[in-house]
Formats: sequence, structure tokens, C-alpha cells
Amino acid sequence: MLEELSYILIVVVLALNSLIAIYGIVYRRSLVKKLISLTILSDTVFIAVILAGFYFTHPLIPPVYEDLGGGNIDYMVKHASDPLPQALVLTGIVIGLATNALIAFGIIQSYRLTGTTDAKKIIEILSRSGVEE
Amino acid sequence: MNTRILVLILLVVSALSVSIAASLLLDIPVPRGLKELAVYYVSNTIRDTGSPEAVAAIVWDYRGLDTIYETLVLYLAIVGGLAIFRVTLKTITKTPIGLTLFSKTSTKIISLLIATISAAITFHGHLTPGGGFPGGSALAVAAMLIIPVFSMYALLEKGVTSTKLVALRGFALTAIGLVALLPVVRGLEIVTNQKFYPTQILGIPVGGSISLYNIFESIAVASGFIAIALYLSIPEEAYKTGESSA
Amino acid sequence: MILPIILLITASLLSLVFVYMAVTERDLLKAVVFSAGQSISYAILLQSMSTPDIVMTYVTVSVGLYSALILFVISKTERFEGGGREH
Repeated sequence: MLEELSYILIVVVLALNSLIAIYGIVYRRSLVKKLISLTILSDTVFIAVILAGFYFTHPLIPPVYEDLGGGNIDYMVKHASDPLPQALVLTGIVIGLATNALIAFGIIQSYRLTGTTDAKKIIEILSRSGVEE
Repeated sequence: MNTRILVLILLVVSALSVSIAASLLLDIPVPRGLKELAVYYVSNTIRDTGSPEAVAAIVWDYRGLDTIYETLVLYLAIVGGLAIFRVTLKTITKTPIGLTLFSKTSTKIISLLIATISAAITFHGHLTPGGGFPGGSALAVAAMLIIPVFSMYALLEKGVTSTKLVALRGFALTAIGLVALLPVVRGLEIVTNQKFYPTQILGIPVGGSISLYNIFESIAVASGFIAIALYLSIPEEAYKTGESSA
Repeated sequence: MILPIILLITASLLSLVFVYMAVTERDLLKAVVFSAGQSISYAILLQSMSTPDIVMTYVTVSVGLYSALILFVISKTERFEGGGREH
């Protein structure tokens, strides 16, 4: 009963979080706020990927053996968490930081050129100088 | 302001009530066992890769080629950022000021501790949770702590320039490529682990090539992020004067 | 048995609160602080799912490096959404 409740609650909360983050990316005007919303969205997606490998057992342990001897494989198969989503997310977090740093450099450069981080004002300045339309 | 709090309370209450109602009324099955692919990885990790840590085994052995290409993406993203921000740092000469002596001393101790922990995370990455990615980012956190306290010019005076960091990054990436390519010499596949690299050296378990990959990856990640931090901490005035003189 | 499930429920509700506060806040410095709080609640969620590799990477990157990156960006541009800069 409590397990079903927690699982459904996590799914509902992740859906709501990604909806709020998408609202922030689309409707907020500040480019920095768009960047913060983008980091929140990517974090939510990472949690969703981890949740795909999650299951209820007690105790849930990390997929790490104690020594090279092998240990109790049957116990590990019943109680270890899924290693494949973890491996995918582990690289994804660091790569995401590097690409978001690239976006941050772009925001600073556009502030130097236009003097604002407001998306609508940037479009006005660009259209006044004849770049767009 | 008030409507903001009201909407927040409405969100939390609706999320809780929807999930309570769904768990009571609908018969939704929850997962209660490991997936078949994961069962294979968990039961064969020591035999296939020599590493008791299944996550490091997948990152650097089962799906090693993926990770090497992702390292290339990391390299290109950081190079793109530095290309936007290029400035000649040699023209900037200022005496470093930084914060007070107390904060400098405590920062020295704390950043030394963080660097030690990041080395431990990196070197034990094939035995315990950790590895190249967390170790490298922990080292970058130590540098992020040093830069505001000691000021960027202190680092530049010590010889930590972004050119050297980018060169270090290139060295680490070349080393990763060499470790991946070396088994081809003996006619094996690229990114081969157990058939080419030894599982133990002098009785110390090294997990084949996994520990080598971890060390070089942590160097690559740390130097890339420290270079980003150095470029970001240059004050805007330096760009304006640099552009007028150039 | 019951403690990890209570942690899951609490951390997910906490993350909902922090995400909403971070996205709707007009002061970008406060938004960074709320975003760090969201990262901490996600880290609790990950730890109760028993993934220590991800927790180590996620805490250093998302609480430490992302916050520093966005603080640098704010110090070089403007602090409030819709213009305005406070020294």
C-alpha cells in the first residue's frame, strides 16, 4: 500500500516538475532563468531514468561486491540496484554540465553585445538593427 | 506573492491526493525484481571485467566506446565555450588581493582535504562507488573554492594558466585514446580490457584498464572545468580594455 | 523497510516545492538558492534509491558547480528578471 503510494507519487511529482520546468523555459523572459529551468528539466529526466531501474526490496544495496572473490551472487541479484541506468546517467550529468557551460558563455556574450538578458528585448534590438526581418 | 503560495499549496495537495486516490482505487503494479539485462551485468561483472563495481564495469568496459565518445562531446563543448571567451591573459597584470588571512588559511586546509578525497574517489573507482567523473568534478569544486578567496591573479602568478590547463586536457584525452587503441596492436578489438590489461599488479587489484581510464578521465574533467572557472572569473573590464588595445 | 519509503515521499514533495519556487522567483540569486535546494532533495531521492555513484557526481556537479556557474553568469549580467542590477 505505502509502496504503491510512494511509486505513484514520485511519477506524479516528476511529471509536475518537468511541466513547471518547461513553463520556465518557454514563458520566462530572462535567459538566465531559462538556463536554471533547463538544468531542472535535465535533472528531472535523470531521476526518471534512474526510476526506470528502481524496484522495491529490503535492503536495497549498491551493485558493488565486497571483494574480488565473487561473494554471494544470488543475494546480489535479489538486492542490488540496477547498474545500467546509473552508468548512463553518470556520464550524462558531467556532459550536461559542459554543454550548459557553453550556453552560459553564449548568454554572457549576448549580454555584452545587446546589454540585456531579456529574450524579447534581444529580439527587438536585433530586428531594429535589421538582422531579423 | 500570495497567489504564488496558494498555487504552490494547491500543487502539493493535488499531487498527494491524486497519488493516494490512485494507490487506493487503481491496482497499479510496482516493480519488485531486477531486469534481465541487469541480472547479467550484476552476476558477471567480476568474471568479465575484473572489477567488483558493476557501474564502473559498464561505464568503461561493457559500454566503453560510448563513454569515450561522450568524453569527446565534453571536450568539444568546453573548447566551444573557451573559443567564445578568448582573451590574452598575459596583458593582465594585477597584484592579487583576495580575502583575509583567516579565510585564506582555512581555504588552504579545506581545499587540500577536498583534493585528497577526490584522489581517493578516483583511485578506488574500480573497487568502490566513484570513478573518474565524480573525482574530477570534486577537484574542480576545490578550484572553485580557491578562485574567489585567493583571486584569479594568484593562480596566474603560480603558473596555472588556461593554456596549460587546455594542454593538460589534451594530454589526458590522448592518453584515453591510447589506452583504448593499444589492444589493436596485438590484433584484439578496440577498447579490450581483460584480454590485454592485467587484472592484478603485485597483488593489487587494478581492474584492467578501468583504473587507467578513471585516472585520465578525472584529469580531463578537472582541467576542463577549472579552465571554465578561470575564464569566467576574469572581470568584464579586462575584456573591454583588451578589445580596445587589440 | 518503512524508512526509505518515507524518505522517498518526503524528498519528492520537497523537490516539487523547490522547483516551483525556483521557476517563479524574480530575484535570480534566490532562484539559484532554490535550485540548489531542489538538487539536495533530488540527491536524497537518489540515495534512497541506493545509487551512491550518482549521488557523488550529482552533489558535486549540481550543488557545487552549477550554482557557481550561474552565480558567475549573474555577476556578469543582471540580477533581476526583466532588467535591473544591484551592486
